[in-house]
Amino acid sequence: MSNPAVLCGVRGAVSPLAGAVGFGEEDCHKITLALDEAITNVIRHAYGGKLERPIKIEFHKVNGKDAAKAGLEITLTDRGVKPNPDALKGLPPGELRSGGLGLHFMRQSMDTVVHTRVGSTNRLRMVKYIR
Amino acid sequence: MQISARHLDNTTIFDVTGDIDLANSPAVRKAFLTELREKKIPRVIVNLQGVKYIDSSGIASLVEGLKASRDLKARFILFGLSKSAREVLQLSRLLKLFEIYENEEQALSAESV
Repeated sequence: MSNPAVLCGVRGAVSPLAGAVGFGEEDCHKITLALDEAITNVIRHAYGGKLERPIKIEFHKVNGKDAAKAGLEITLTDRGVKPNPDALKGLPPGELRSGGLGLHFMRQSMDTVVHTRVGSTNRLRMVKYIR
Repeated sequence: MQISARHLDNTTIFDVTGDIDLANSPAVRKAFLTELREKKIPRVIVNLQGVKYIDSSGIASLVEGLKASRDLKARFILFGLSKSAREVLQLSRLLKLFEIYENEEQALSAESV
């Protein structure tokens, strides 16, 4: 649900899950950060801060042909508003501004970050590969 | 997340423990801004030793504190960053904009920069 109170529980679940897939501590933290930021963006922007709206999160282990391409795919689906295309470009970090960092963190933490919209559904797909 | 304040000579030290995320970053932001803008405290120090996780909304609260301090010619100091908190600040490329120390003693004794 689109309630900030769930973030802590989600973080607590995804970190050990990423570890079970084979990621080291540093990458587990990056994956946790990326998912936290993605959910935060859905809550704030897709749902405009409204609580108790549905957010679907799916985890799939990526099995590459060799160990270097194994990883974790995370997909978030929501029924919120269509994102502003300019907002998806992200803003350059480093400036003393209090917003716009979430998308930057996601792109720095994951190998793939792709937003799509199908009908009235937003879909965010993130993938991180084990090095 | 818990945040409490200690008051010394012209200084407020905020002791923050727990995770700073969207659920509680507004309260952190409000605490900083109240101290700086309403109470006109000239030096605010934030103890982050107990913060193991901080996301972009938490960073935004720190940025708001820093910006307010600059507007009011006050000081806004951080100390006790965990490895993960430091990495998130580094990722935001804002690490060098903050005045950061290892511990409270260093934060209190540091001269204005």
